Amino acid sequence: MVKRNSFYKQLFLVCLCGIALSSCKPKEKLLPNTPGEINLQQFVAIGDGNTAGYMDDALYQYGQQNSLGAILQTQLQLVGAGEIYLPLMGSANIGTNSSFLSKLILGWKTDCLGGIGLSPVRFAQQGEGASLTTSAYSSQNKFTNFGIPGLKMIGAYQNQIGDPNALDYNAYFGRMSMDQFTLPAWSGTWSTVRDNIFNGGNPTFCSLFLGIEDALPYAKSGATANPMTPLLGLPGIGFEESFVAWVDGFSVQNIKAVVATIPDITQMPYFTTIPYNGLNLDDEKAASLNQIYGPLGFSFTVGSNPFMIEDPTAGAFGVRPMEEGELILLSVPLDSMKCHQYGSVYPLRDEFVLTIAELQEIRNQLLAYNQVIRQHSNFYGFAVAETADFYANLYDGFVYNGVTMSAKFVSGGAYSLDGIHLNPRGNALLANVFITAINKTYKATIPLANALFYSSTYFP
Amino acid sequence: MKRIYLGALFFLHFVCDNYGFSQGFQVNFQGQRQQGMGLAGTAAPFDGSSLYFNPGSSVFLNQNSIVGGVTPVFSNILFIDSATNTSYRSNSPVGTPFSFYAMFQLKPTGKLKVGLSVNTPFGSTVQYEDNWIGRFALTRLELKAIFIQPTFAYRIADHIGIGGGFVISSGNVNLQKDIPVQDTNGVYGHAELAGKAIGFGYNIGIHFNPSKQLSIGLTYRSKVAMNLRDGEATFTVPSSLEDKFPTTTFTGRLPLPSVTTLGFSYHPCSAFTVVLDINRVGWKVYDTLAFDYATNTTSLSDTKSPRMYKNILAFRLGMEVKPIKSLSLRLGGGYGLTPVQSGYVSPETPDGIRIYGTFGLGYELSQKIRIDASVYYTKIKRSDTNLETNMSGTYTTIALAPGLSISYKW
Repeated sequence: MVKRNSFYKQLFLVCLCGIALSSCKPKEKLLPNTPGEINLQQFVAIGDGNTAGYMDDALYQYGQQNSLGAILQTQLQLVGAGEIYLPLMGSANIGTNSSFLSKLILGWKTDCLGGIGLSPVRFAQQGEGASLTTSAYSSQNKFTNFGIPGLKMIGAYQNQIGDPNALDYNAYFGRMSMDQFTLPAWSGTWSTVRDNIFNGGNPTFCSLFLGIEDALPYAKSGATANPMTPLLGLPGIGFEESFVAWVDGFSVQNIKAVVATIPDITQMPYFTTIPYNGLNLDDEKAASLNQIYGPLGFSFTVGSNPFMIEDPTAGAFGVRPMEEGELILLSVPLDSMKCHQYGSVYPLRDEFVLTIAELQEIRNQLLAYNQVIRQHSNFYGFAVAETADFYANLYDGFVYNGVTMSAKFVSGGAYSLDGIHLNPRGNALLANVFITAINKTYKATIPLANALFYSSTYFP
Repeated sequence: MKRIYLGALFFLHFVCDNYGFSQGFQVNFQGQRQQGMGLAGTAAPFDGSSLYFNPGSSVFLNQNSIVGGVTPVFSNILFIDSATNTSYRSNSPVGTPFSFYAMFQLKPTGKLKVGLSVNTPFGSTVQYEDNWIGRFALTRLELKAIFIQPTFAYRIADHIGIGGGFVISSGNVNLQKDIPVQDTNGVYGHAELAGKAIGFGYNIGIHFNPSKQLSIGLTYRSKVAMNLRDGEATFTVPSSLEDKFPTTTFTGRLPLPSVTTLGFSYHPCSAFTVVLDINRVGWKVYDTLAFDYATNTTSLSDTKSPRMYKNILAFRLGMEVKPIKSLSLRLGGGYGLTPVQSGYVSPETPDGIRIYGTFGLGYELSQKIRIDASVYYTKIKRSDTNLETNMSGTYTTIALAPGLSISYKW
């Protein structure tokens, strides 16, 4: 009797456990993903290095696969977009910039004081320059990503950027172009980016994120060279008409689009990492600088002081201390600053600094660009991705699913090691800005990307 | 047979000592009869479990009693992230809240009772699937507390009994999450905080029989502040960041809330009983989860995560019928408010308003030995955007807890 009872008890327990294991999982009821009013038969992402996946100061496969364009398309694939075709570089990880240098990685570097610290260093001795002279074009599979590092808003209309002998030649475009490094016999002119995009059938849906490169080279030169694209002028010359040609062209061809505004590039780590007042002085150094600059009316104190810069407008000697809000570029020779009194005894050259007046000029131009973008996009009813807001939020810092993201160089989590282009995680967050805009304008329910699925900076 | 089952319980305790499901991280599985009746029974003394439910009621039992029980908890959480429209699941281990009671009467009349209650009224083990979207908020949390409560009870009048016990709570905490730094292979860092904690409290109760049919019980189980000392924080990070994440000790504090219960029991005839318990749980004490590291660096600062729990009420109703003298059939259910406010729902306790149902049965194998079994089921759904992590989505939790106890009385 006792034995039997214990058997039944065990049977009872086993049954209960069986029921428990099989029946107590909540059912997954996901909302439907819908494309709304957009047709994704042929999607093309148009843009510059961000769309291309240029990061860590190079274009390389892993970056391309984790580009704004590719991540955006990955999400669009959930509502019907087709396969992703990228003009892939030759190697997964070496890459090249336009000076044939490989990508940057975080590595150990010894500075002039003998201190060893983490710093961006080149991954390889040389970049894979061969990829820039090898055509990636395929007549079978049209690229779905026309992200071209360095492409300006005006560049899409310029024949010369596809001409290997021209000064403005863009090798990243050259390797994608249907010309395949040969002047087409039938035309006598090199095809433009636009020609390539509309070759082989019109896209049905486009993302357009151009305009950063219309101002960035000027900012990176410390406002000494590479003037910004003017607002006025014909397509290929002026910003506004070039942009209008894009959106008008979309509209005429019945293409729907998501169009992006331009961020304040001066909030990128390339410009914000070195503090204007990072000149730390002890008694002796402060005294010696006071001796040098005293006659000019500048004084130094023990502790932190503004760096000294060249400024042709500053008095008879063209030298002055930096003001709060002025920026030092990451291109500055850091060893000279650390060990050779560069930025104190020897003032920083103009090309490494953006002064208040220069910053104002750049920011005003970006505001004007954005006004053009918003005005004409709204006119045509296109979705507007406010990347300007996203980059500004990044500058302030925010928490994403428990992870703090910011515009801090290296540790901020969203920028790649060149301090300008986003890393895969940053690109995913940026892609979400595009998707949010598409969902809103075209009544779609496209899920956002999980940005934490995409990698950030690798630490040794 | 008793020996075998007690042996099995002992085994379960040490092999899979994870306690499962809870309101907040309260676990209400301390007696099979009560579990069958919607987790109520403060005014209905039954066996040694009365030492916990209401020490004052134990003196109305004319018996010595030893009870051992265990309630495996199968709980599954589904999280649907609203932004990405993707889902993630928990793979928490089976929780095993257990209880053990030994109650002895020192006078044949049963006027004075002494006893020992050992159980697990708080605890939680949640673990989420690998690479889930909230991995940087939490990957695994294990909270365990064993309450050991020596108890005295005395019948001060024919209809009134009082009792009280001193509670020693011994527990441990193990919290793990991933750190958003990647090594050169893309592998994320990981943090594990582990520590033992100890706390003290008490459990007092009064039982009153205004009539033969009606009983009223009132109990107060105090809060127990679990103090973590010399916890060990271990960080797995890329070697270049090791000096920023040093292995260090930490201290912390985890308050377990007070529970005040007013209970009623109505038994118009010996074959039928209805019970009602109203709980007030003082969750307000859990306002912050703080960890104070012995070593701080630029990357490792003391953390203070707001929890902002609020006090709650829970209503529990149950009934028991005895078609024959040796068999009891039980049914019950309850409604509990959640201590977790909007904006503070986190993966560790994705809690919401709770409606649950239970049923149970008991069988007297002999005059001395009986077995009792119960099943508890609940489904909770809670949508929220956490203010600290910005995680936004819907947690659905289903918990099923079948329990079994065996008791011996003489």
